[in-house]
Amino acid sequence: MTNSMNNTIERLKSIIRNLKVEEIDEREVKIEIKPEMVLNALSLLKGSGYSHLSIITAVDWIEENKFELVYILFSWNDGGKFIVSTKIDRKKAKFVTVKHLWPIARYYERELHEFFGISFEGNDDMRPLFLENWDDLPPLRKDFDPMEYSKKKFPDREYHKDVIHEAKVIRGDLNG
Amino acid sequence: MGEVKLFFGPNHPGMHGNFSVHMYVEGDTVERARPLPGFLHRGFEKLMERRLWYQNLALIPRICVPEPDINEVCYAMAIEKIAKIDVPERAQWIRMIILELARIASHMMSFPGIGGPLGLYTSSFWGVADRDRILDIFESLTGARIYHMFIVPGGVRKDLTPKIQDLIVKTLDYIEGRLPDYEDLIFKNRIVHTRLKGIALLDRETALELGVTGVGLRATGVPYDIRKVDPYLFYDKVDFEIPTATDGDAYSRVYLKYLEIYQSIKIIRQCLEKMPEGKVNVPLSEGSALRYKVPKGQAYVHIESTRGEYGYFMVSDGGEKPYRVAVRGASYPQTFIGVEKYLPGTRIEDVPIWLSTMDVCAPEVDR
Amino acid sequence: MSTNERSIWEKIADQLRSKSLWMLHYCTGCGAIELPPSMTSRFDMERFGMGPMATPRQADILFITGYLSAKTLRRVIYTYEQMPEPKYVIGFGSCTLNGGIYYDSYATINRLDYYIPVDLYIAGCMPRPEALLEAFNELMRMIRKGEANGWKRYKENYEWYKQNQLRSLGEVFIHDEFHE
Repeated sequence: MTNSMNNTIERLKSIIRNLKVEEIDEREVKIEIKPEMVLNALSLLKGSGYSHLSIITAVDWIEENKFELVYILFSWNDGGKFIVSTKIDRKKAKFVTVKHLWPIARYYERELHEFFGISFEGNDDMRPLFLENWDDLPPLRKDFDPMEYSKKKFPDREYHKDVIHEAKVIRGDLNG
Repeated sequence: MGEVKLFFGPNHPGMHGNFSVHMYVEGDTVERARPLPGFLHRGFEKLMERRLWYQNLALIPRICVPEPDINEVCYAMAIEKIAKIDVPERAQWIRMIILELARIASHMMSFPGIGGPLGLYTSSFWGVADRDRILDIFESLTGARIYHMFIVPGGVRKDLTPKIQDLIVKTLDYIEGRLPDYEDLIFKNRIVHTRLKGIALLDRETALELGVTGVGLRATGVPYDIRKVDPYLFYDKVDFEIPTATDGDAYSRVYLKYLEIYQSIKIIRQCLEKMPEGKVNVPLSEGSALRYKVPKGQAYVHIESTRGEYGYFMVSDGGEKPYRVAVRGASYPQTFIGVEKYLPGTRIEDVPIWLSTMDVCAPEVDR
Repeated sequence: MSTNERSIWEKIADQLRSKSLWMLHYCTGCGAIELPPSMTSRFDMERFGMGPMATPRQADILFITGYLSAKTLRRVIYTYEQMPEPKYVIGFGSCTLNGGIYYDSYATINRLDYYIPVDLYIAGCMPRPEALLEAFNELMRMIRKGEANGWKRYKENYEWYKQNQLRSLGEVFIHDEFHE
């Protein structure tokens, strides 16, 4: 871990008790914190130079019945990466927005709402972004089966004939 | 005159990729704009969870079309980080060569990108034709023009034979000799100056606040490049510079791409020189590679693509398939907040220039 | 008159049509990356009498470059119905043929000819520009022989195609805040 990362972790420890720190490699640290402390930790990290928000994403831990929210912060000064992770309840998937810290968070949160069904308090713009007329579970949840959905909605080609719907096929690879 | 609704894309000749911007236009000026992505959404993150670790190699290059190799490198590096695999040194150098060749190819593709909106079709023809020379290298190396599937976890698939090294050297010489022609055609051209200078402005504070990376950020005067700040592979062992500009406009972004081609050529030449002999991959597991399991863990890997920070966040639960892979598309910030906030005020004919120089790339945003 | 029969005037017209084909330049998927090389100096498809066209109203060929997500399919159907007859459709890449690598994706379709009639497929991922040129030459031959009559099939089986489109898309009309 670099010096500035050590200092930042010390400062984090002073405001957050029982902070779980896991060192992934020299310039990458994962910290796990309780949901209510996330905003404090993120603003502290942003103030300490880790101001570039790489991505906000979520992991569906269906067996634990939790969603893990992951915020990845990066510092242009020393190249350190902080993976801030927190676990929220899967049934009542709700969290607070961070769009006042990073404007782009608004779209990441909108994406998470679309793909995981997590809603963010304070971020009202939750219209669908990538999908149109979606009518099933949020697709990135573990209990959603894309194969089944694809079979239901988009039928496969049936290969019982030699002819494929009268259309000709040209092979596009080298042996064509 | 009232406000007029105007579509830009997806079916529009000036649009790069399948992406749509809805604009409310008054006269000639954009009043409000709204990005509409999702035309290329294939659900990669879900599909990756359904395939074995090794099967995913065929899937991942397809996330980003102009520069597929960054995906392979990110994927391989993330697995190696979680499983703590030591990759042979030669393989790392070869990866760097591939990455930089892909960078040149992708930057070459940016000249056609501005050629269309400017009406300077010569640059389109030149850029595409010269890019094809790089695709020829890839073809003789991997057998494929676009999707190479060459970089695997644990190394690369094949060694660079002396013949291919020769081909690379010759092609680089050719491209280096061609670049002054581009300078004459594009950057000394008065039409290009008047059309590109002072257009699509982005200042430093906004770029940093939005999280814009890559050329868009460096055009505002900060030398932030992940190859230097957070070096991966052996980028700390080669000597290269990060070109920057101070204007933050469309012209400086295109010009930086042009200058970066020189740096990439320089890096590849050093790689070819410094590359030691030896193995190019390590077997990941005993027995079938398909049954390979990555130990439990998480990692975030990011690299500098042509458009900026491109990253993979990978979670493994110790199973045969990835538990979760999240992809950070490099052009995510400028595609959404950029279009929404900074497109208003531009004239309609500058919108394609704005989109292509800000590197709005639909496939990696939609995934 | 059945789909395969042509009057003498149509036969002459088909001869002429095959010599000048305008392809709608609509990048629906990753195959679009092979279009610039085939259009520009290296592979140069203009020597066969084809060129890119910007608007659907003046185009003859709808070229589906790769996978179609459901969201794009709506626009493709719009585009196809806007094109004047005669019109031809080419599916480029395996993903239009049978879903390809995205066979189990929740967002992309698995076979294109279920929704709009396809005259010719180019298989492979990614097909090379040579394959593209070969396909265009084949299409020209088919037009001359009167085999490329997908647009007639679309008119005859309009109900069937519409039914399929509705099954996969729910509705073909586009609803978002911009359209209302």
